[in-house]
Amino acid sequence: MSNVAMGAIVVALGSAAALTGIGVVALGLAGRRPGWWREARFLVWAMLAASVLAFIIMERALITRDFTVLFVAQNGSTRTSSIFNVATLWSALEGSILLWSVILSGYVAAVLVKFRDRRDDPMLAWAMLTLFVVSAFFFLLMVGPANPFRSFDPPAGFDGPGPNPLLQSHILMAVHPPVLYLGYVGFTVPFAFAMGALATGRVGEGWLLATRRWTVMAWGFLTLGIVLGAWWSYETLGWGGYWAWDPVENASFLPWLTGTAFIHSVMVQERRGMLRVWNLSLVIATFALTILGTFITRSGVLASVHAFSNSPIGPALLGFFGVIVVVSLVLIAWRGEQLRSPGRIDSPISREGAFLANNVLFAAFAFVVLLGTIFPLIVEAIDGRQISVGNPYFERMTMPIGFTLLFLMAVAPVLPWRKASSGVLSDRLIWPAWMGVGAIVFSVIVGARGWAPLLAFGLGGFAGGAAVRQVVLATRRQGVRGFIGRTNGGMIVHLGVVMIAVAFAASSAYVRQEEFLLSPGQTASFAGHELTYVGSDAREFENRSETRASIMINGGQIYEPGIAVYPFAGRNIGIPSVRSTPFEDIALSVQQFPEDTDDVLLRVTIQPLILWLWAGGLIMALGTVLAVVPGARRRPTMPVSAPVPDASLPDAQEEVLT
Amino acid sequence: MTRRLLSWVAVATIGVAALLYGAIDEGAPRTDADRAYEMAKTIGCPVCRGQSVAESDATVAKSIRASIAIWIDEGRSDAFIRSALVDRFGEAVDYTPSASGVTALVWILPVVGGAGAIAGLFLVFRRWSDEDDLEASVEDRAAVEAARAAVGRDG
Amino acid sequence: MTSESTSHRTLWIVAPVAIVMVLFLVLLATRDGGGTGFISGDIDGQLAPPIVRTTIDGEPFDLDELRGSFVVVNFFQTSCIPCRQEHPELVAFQEQYAPTGVGSVVSIVFDDTEANIRAFFDEFGGDWPIIAEDSLPIAVDYGVPLVPESAIVAPNGIVIRKLIGGVRKSDIEAVMASWLAEQEQPVGTQSESSP
Repeated sequence: MSNVAMGAIVVALGSAAALTGIGVVALGLAGRRPGWWREARFLVWAMLAASVLAFIIMERALITRDFTVLFVAQNGSTRTSSIFNVATLWSALEGSILLWSVILSGYVAAVLVKFRDRRDDPMLAWAMLTLFVVSAFFFLLMVGPANPFRSFDPPAGFDGPGPNPLLQSHILMAVHPPVLYLGYVGFTVPFAFAMGALATGRVGEGWLLATRRWTVMAWGFLTLGIVLGAWWSYETLGWGGYWAWDPVENASFLPWLTGTAFIHSVMVQERRGMLRVWNLSLVIATFALTILGTFITRSGVLASVHAFSNSPIGPALLGFFGVIVVVSLVLIAWRGEQLRSPGRIDSPISREGAFLANNVLFAAFAFVVLLGTIFPLIVEAIDGRQISVGNPYFERMTMPIGFTLLFLMAVAPVLPWRKASSGVLSDRLIWPAWMGVGAIVFSVIVGARGWAPLLAFGLGGFAGGAAVRQVVLATRRQGVRGFIGRTNGGMIVHLGVVMIAVAFAASSAYVRQEEFLLSPGQTASFAGHELTYVGSDAREFENRSETRASIMINGGQIYEPGIAVYPFAGRNIGIPSVRSTPFEDIALSVQQFPEDTDDVLLRVTIQPLILWLWAGGLIMALGTVLAVVPGARRRPTMPVSAPVPDASLPDAQEEVLT
Repeated sequence: MTRRLLSWVAVATIGVAALLYGAIDEGAPRTDADRAYEMAKTIGCPVCRGQSVAESDATVAKSIRASIAIWIDEGRSDAFIRSALVDRFGEAVDYTPSASGVTALVWILPVVGGAGAIAGLFLVFRRWSDEDDLEASVEDRAAVEAARAAVGRDG
Repeated sequence: MTSESTSHRTLWIVAPVAIVMVLFLVLLATRDGGGTGFISGDIDGQLAPPIVRTTIDGEPFDLDELRGSFVVVNFFQTSCIPCRQEHPELVAFQEQYAPTGVGSVVSIVFDDTEANIRAFFDEFGGDWPIIAEDSLPIAVDYGVPLVPESAIVAPNGIVIRKLIGGVRKSDIEAVMASWLAEQEQPVGTQSESSP
């Protein structure tokens, strides 16, 4: 049987399984027949099997270059190397929806396995219903507008153009989308449980505890996915930057912001039973924003450099987003009275007060990013003008928020719950404060100037000092276990955030870029470096021809940026080359080899601390892993008022009182 | 306590002094090329979706970079360059939304929202602390009692 | 009583959120996203930005010296297909109007090599000033984001109209005719900028 036929059948089966799942669980819930929804587990396995098979069939078609599949004819080629051939699946719309379905089905199956002891629980049934609905939506996209298994009749000797050359020039492109999707899709699970909690009226802390690790894991994948995306952009696009506040970048950042707010505020609810509506809203918003982000990425409604062609699935995604919002609002309005949380916050100067401030800031951050992203559309709708909102806006508006968040990151971890005395704070914060001041003084000595970056370094040192202090105290008390568990892992994540914040401040404040037209043998001096153009040479490959310039940096190592011509894809792409050191990056990219000469037009970008960005991202991912490893302290089923792990720290007596 | 206080005073003094020195001392002078690059980052390329003229390889982006360099060389101000480019290629090339007319909303809304959130938090905290000293409403008290009874914890 | 007042409170929060979300959805649903294709500067009716350069043949060129006749300031690139298509029209225009001094063409090259330009003119004909050196800032002065574009400059040095995309000789003639017609009706407007 042909790949097209098999693929179509498998996708149809998957859709049928998801739709049947909706029906069975809904009828079971309506008739209060747990037996029905228990049996729906077979449909989950069917769904998973269908999506995995569809994935395998598509990969087989790509690897065997089966051009009777339209997707392969449009995106594959016999000249693409094997690793990028596999990654071609997620280089275009239809395949990326397929990847989404595989990951989603995987998550649904994992939920089924993880909660196998609670199969009769109606809340789980509602969650399963939600998961089936979301799965059905993505399966139906594959049946209709984003069908990956359309057929094609290749003429004799046909060869495809291959994936977009930009997407096959760096190994990170093979990794970034799946990791990002693991994050995006992962938020479906807490969303499903939130829906279950609202539908059953069990809006207490149960659903939170059930999905806490899922959320943190999804958040970790999303973090890593965003960092990998920035890294890819920096390594391959040759513009010397890594983040441009582009609508598509913002689309991935928005759920990260609300997700980050959630994993902090959830602790207030666990501990004090407060902020129930808020937490539900954050989970719903995070999931809704992943769908909205996919819409922004795929619909072409906003001008973005990440040019996915205008695809037919825009209206479907927007409609789905609308359904999510409407259903959620109706449920929240309906459950409003039960959601009212008892309790109050005694003092703003307390852990919960800090979390509250954290949430206000993250909400403001998300609002600024969302507003800036869609604002051109608003203005166009009001008076038809075309305007842009770009990096000056985002940098100006988010900088104060970032500063305040860094400050909170320093103070919050040492704050006790309920109420803090100034003596305690003074004791716990003095050491981090010296770290912060040390960072400023050190930066000034090494030549850093300007109040904004210096303040960022100081607050970074302050926050980093607080995180290190917590980790040191925890490891002193618990040994190696002091690194694991949510609180300790969280502090590692904070260290990663501090590195990224400092690197972001430094690189955007001190970046320098210039273009040089060099003849062979000529040397350019820029920002204290000597760049010598040695010469250029041409290289032929199966799918491209490259011209590389040899640039000697400071009389030492030679770097070879160049330009690759992909004749079959009909475009040229740059091949940047970067010299990285822990303190400074020199990024070289060839703008042009002017015709009729041996010259090179070279763009040189020099900026500090770029490596810290990637290292910070990896540390954040590591911290997330440590945070989901169960700590020594308590089972999730234990009462929420159990002492926090650092309760028995020598300097934390008052925390035990709770 | 006084020693602690002293060390805080020291922290604050050194920190503020270093910050002030770093803010006032200008360090290495900014070259024209630096200024041109910073400017180019804030101007959108008219023909490419979502790229600034600093990033883009399009000919018009090169042209605008060249013009910016010439204008800077002629001693023009940033505002002049910005408005000259807006005149020629339309408002959309300016990445900084203007602070007048409808577009001012993009600056105002977050500030208003932020102020509202802070005011809201302030009010909530004041209500909470008032409840401490004065009377809690019957409703609140009942809710608190119910929750306490349910959870079995004492405050 | 309690539940009623609290559900009212929820409604007070949910209702505005719902309204904002509806507006948001309508906004996203009604945008087509095709708006930001490219923006070409509108310089119609303005004094033509000065062009003082050396042509690729080494001759000095000053646009102001062509006052008194129509000038087609043509922006092009040898690799652009519409530029190739419009070229014969420009040649025809030049051949008809240049000998009598009514109008002429000047070409501003949009980022190209001299060899390409010479090959292009050898192949497609045409004999008029070509400016390649430092030509990019001229494109910015004329608000040209993409080629081909042609600014039609009146004898008084004002840009009558900038034609976007490939031009035909008849288009240029229509612009010239409309300007001439305008000059005859309101009598007073000519004096301000005649040479």
